Amino acid sequence: MIGVWRRALIATAVVVVAFPYAWVTLAAFKDRAALNDPSRLSFTPTLANWREVVEGRVLESALTSLLVGVVTVGIALVVGTLGAYAISRFRSGGAVSRFGILLSQLMPPAVLVVPLFLVAFDLQLRDTMVAVVASHLTFVLPVVTWFLIGFFDGVPREFEEQAMVDGYSRLQAFRRVVLPQVLPGIGAAGIFAFVLSWNDLFYALILAGGNTTTLPVKVASFNTFRGVELGAMSAAILVSVVPVVIACFFVQRRLVRGISGGGLKS
Amino acid sequence: MSRRIPIGYRFLAPLLALLALLVAYPLGYSLWLSLTNRTITRQEIAFVGLDQYSGLLSNAGYGVAMRNTLIFVVCAVGIELALGLLIALALQRQRWARDVTRAFLLTPMFVTPIAVGLMFRFLLNQQLGAIPQVLDTAGVTIDFFGPTLALATIVAIDVWQWTPFMVLLLLAGLESLPRQPFEAAKVDGASMWMTFRRITLPLLRPVIAIAVVLRALDAFKIFEYVFATTRGGPGTATETIQYQIYRTAFQFFRLGEAAAMGFVLVGVVLTLVVVLHRLLMRQEAAT
Repeated sequence: MIGVWRRALIATAVVVVAFPYAWVTLAAFKDRAALNDPSRLSFTPTLANWREVVEGRVLESALTSLLVGVVTVGIALVVGTLGAYAISRFRSGGAVSRFGILLSQLMPPAVLVVPLFLVAFDLQLRDTMVAVVASHLTFVLPVVTWFLIGFFDGVPREFEEQAMVDGYSRLQAFRRVVLPQVLPGIGAAGIFAFVLSWNDLFYALILAGGNTTTLPVKVASFNTFRGVELGAMSAAILVSVVPVVIACFFVQRRLVRGISGGGLKS
Repeated sequence: MSRRIPIGYRFLAPLLALLALLVAYPLGYSLWLSLTNRTITRQEIAFVGLDQYSGLLSNAGYGVAMRNTLIFVVCAVGIELALGLLIALALQRQRWARDVTRAFLLTPMFVTPIAVGLMFRFLLNQQLGAIPQVLDTAGVTIDFFGPTLALATIVAIDVWQWTPFMVLLLLAGLESLPRQPFEAAKVDGASMWMTFRRITLPLLRPVIAIAVVLRALDAFKIFEYVFATTRGGPGTATETIQYQIYRTAFQFFRLGEAAAMGFVLVGVVLTLVVVLHRLLMRQEAAT
């Protein structure tokens, strides 16, 4: 009996998750008449929406988002890996630094955005990649560091101590012994951080402009809801959703330890 | 010279420098702004002390937004926890197509939130949406974005996207629990409900604590769904703090006031973290 309920629950959950994906995917290939009449089940697929997506510079926005994400994640991984190692291995700054990382992770963007906007304005950095990357670092950096502390905590000290006995310098031990151990964690943190940057609307909406429209800002601009645009909007949604859903399949196994800062392993 | 700095701090320095520049400095700047009457156009900026903060007390719209945000956070996180726990328990026993099912059910938490908002606005749209259409044939008419239901709809969207986060953490928690207490309960003939109440739940408490705190903090930042669906309306039914700060700062250009709103939010969030942490830890000690 319980088994039936269990299966029913999982089946329902699968349908509830799948339905919006399916509906939007279909809508991306529907013409105007089919979109205006949701009760019609059969329709002739069209590529007109995708033409509009290409002409509407959605792909340029995707490229901007990709660039912003890669640069943000690159900086965050280098700086975050070093920082997380220091916090985990040397307890640098003690509890204050762990708490500080958590604290900056929970800072609402609404508090930081006004000063970031003013500084970007004063330095004439508005509508540049620099401003968007800097704003994304405010949340990506703490997350990556927090994530990696959990992985460094899992590396036994003996490994690098033995390496140093064998004549490695501190840096060599870090690079050749410790780093390979946490490489899977760094990979997962990088993908997770990229998804966070790729998905951000709030900062990009305020700091980016015509030249640096990121994908979420572009997708939001389809929010006019004239029937005509629904198909193109659906296509644009797919452009933003598909890469992250694929990415998520690669990181799931390591996500738990990272999110919980090493408090939980799976 | 550089030899004197402990090795740990040399590794830590770039991180500290960037966080100081990108988080601490803006935070200080924001605090100063909240004590001024700064707007985008005003030429001479005056120090006004705590006027912005006392102004918020008499600002009815701010109270409404704060109330909406709190209702949203409590409802969304509560539902996500209950639902997430149920699904995690079900998935724990799942054998057939195990990895695929898990991976698929977790996908929503990665989807661009603005896309989620727009997807649901589309699905629930009165004329063009699939769901009202289906309900219509059953003779039911529901205005999902009307004054009474709009906030509940936003909660539902959040539940769709973020229940997977709960499932992810709770499932990991469940699978790391020790075996012996469960075997002992089985030997003693404890019912499933008893086993759940007396063993699973207490053992899982620390994981639940982490999951709830992380999720609640994130839920306070709700912006995209409101931006995509209702823009705070109808009236002020779905006006949330982050959305109101966005409008105050970038539509009305009252930067000082927006900064003050932000700082009150930081205060609320910090208080919540401390209270929640205490509460969950105390219960853990009690059981």
